[in-house]
Amino acid sequence: MAAGNALLRPSRAVLVGTATVLAVLGLWWLATSGLRLLNPLRLPAPSEVWAAFQQINGRGYAGATLIEHALHSLGLVARGFAVAVITGVPLGLLMGWSRRAEALVNPIFLLLRPIPALAWIPLAIVWFGLGDTGKVFVIWLTAFVPSVINAFTGVRQVDTILIAAARTQGASTAQVLRHVVIPGAMPMIFTGLRLSLQASWTTLVAAELVGAFFGLGRVLNIAGQDIYPGMILVGMAAVAVCGAGTTWLLGLLERRVLNWRPAV
Amino acid sequence: MSEIVFKAVTKTFRLPRGGEFLAIDTTDLRIEEKEFVAIVGPSGCGKTTLMRMAAGLEFPSSGSVEVGGKRVVGPGPERAVVFQQFALMPWKTVRENIGFGLMCRGAPKAEADAAIGRYIELMGLSGHEDSFPHQLSGGMQQRVAIARAYVMNPAALLMDEPFGALDAQTRIVMQEELVRLARRNPRTVIFITHAVDEAIYLADRVVVMGRKPGRIIETIDIKPLRAEGGWEEMPIEEVMDTPAFTHMRSRIWKLLKAREQAAADH
Repeated sequence: MAAGNALLRPSRAVLVGTATVLAVLGLWWLATSGLRLLNPLRLPAPSEVWAAFQQINGRGYAGATLIEHALHSLGLVARGFAVAVITGVPLGLLMGWSRRAEALVNPIFLLLRPIPALAWIPLAIVWFGLGDTGKVFVIWLTAFVPSVINAFTGVRQVDTILIAAARTQGASTAQVLRHVVIPGAMPMIFTGLRLSLQASWTTLVAAELVGAFFGLGRVLNIAGQDIYPGMILVGMAAVAVCGAGTTWLLGLLERRVLNWRPAV
Repeated sequence: MSEIVFKAVTKTFRLPRGGEFLAIDTTDLRIEEKEFVAIVGPSGCGKTTLMRMAAGLEFPSSGSVEVGGKRVVGPGPERAVVFQQFALMPWKTVRENIGFGLMCRGAPKAEADAAIGRYIELMGLSGHEDSFPHQLSGGMQQRVAIARAYVMNPAALLMDEPFGALDAQTRIVMQEELVRLARRNPRTVIFITHAVDEAIYLADRVVVMGRKPGRIIETIDIKPLRAEGGWEEMPIEEVMDTPAFTHMRSRIWKLLKAREQAAADH
């Protein structure tokens, strides 16, 4: 019985998920094209979104094709996220391990932390202009915070008896860090990475809305100015697909790195 | 040389609301080289604290702890510790957990692999070398922890209620195996337990502790009983049925009870 359930469960989940998506699409079609309940300027019909999709793929829109916009946005997210992780995780580990480092950094951190990503954008434009650097900077600032906090918490949650056990086996401080503290913090580090990645996408789209030459945020911004609902939906769907895709990739990495955990 | 000597050791803890709590009153104890000593006593008698002092994980408030004539200033691989909660690294396989200390020491790979393989076989872990701890039962996890301690070839073994988290059947199997292992590889051992049976069955000498404050009530030699009774040739349940064993058990129970009574009246 149990084995049968385990085999059935994923396929049933996929079926339900597919059914939900199809139902929403069906309702959408009914509300717009079928029964014409909604003004097409409020919510465009599926056919209009499809036309917008073909337009941006063929001739392009807002200066480039959809793929070019998406790749540009992906590149910025990848850079900002990478810089945030490379700087944030080690800082969080250091603060978790050393009370002195925590005392030094924490006050600055507590002051900067409540500032929302959007509030940094004007400063980023003043400093770096409308180009890529400013956006990477803003993504870094916002994605940095969850990486630091979760790496910090991860270190503090490492079972002290494991550290004691490693020391009784003759482990040096470097060996304790490498073999006990960092692997022990890894599940929390990945929680932080997931939050950082979400923050990266949110911030990027916000930054591109304010000012950009390319990118999915730019598509949304121009489509808004053109009052072109079909293209707005294409832009939103593209952000959703890119965000979900990168989260899925991170999940693959997480499962591989944390292969020692019991299956959920 | 690896005798463990506690010299006039005391331990006080500062209470959060001010004042001090005397956990261990002036205690002297000498454990000879390759002697197996079990310390029994109720929770809060300081038995685990004594062991942790020998391990270098805690330090006396006054007095000193010496192992092999050297004052203990921190943990070290010549004093292996087995914890009640197993304390295996969940992200390392059985083989990696057992080999961790050897890796820290920088032992040559061939030599380490041979030693790890020997203890995997000795502790009945064959076939589980590449399992992660969560895939093993509690008894198997503690076998890994014991193998990890022995593989370092330590002068002293410090065990803190190692079978306390195991079910009754597993516990009996592990006690028999530990006797077998200890006979094959004699070491200086401190074995902390609150199970009187376990202490009598395993140890050469049983140290009985009481609380409020924590101190040694009596030290009892078990070695002559074991030799006379031929315990090592008998299964554990028969040993525990012998008159000598039951008599010793009630004697220790009476000591513990009398001390608890005195502490309560105080």
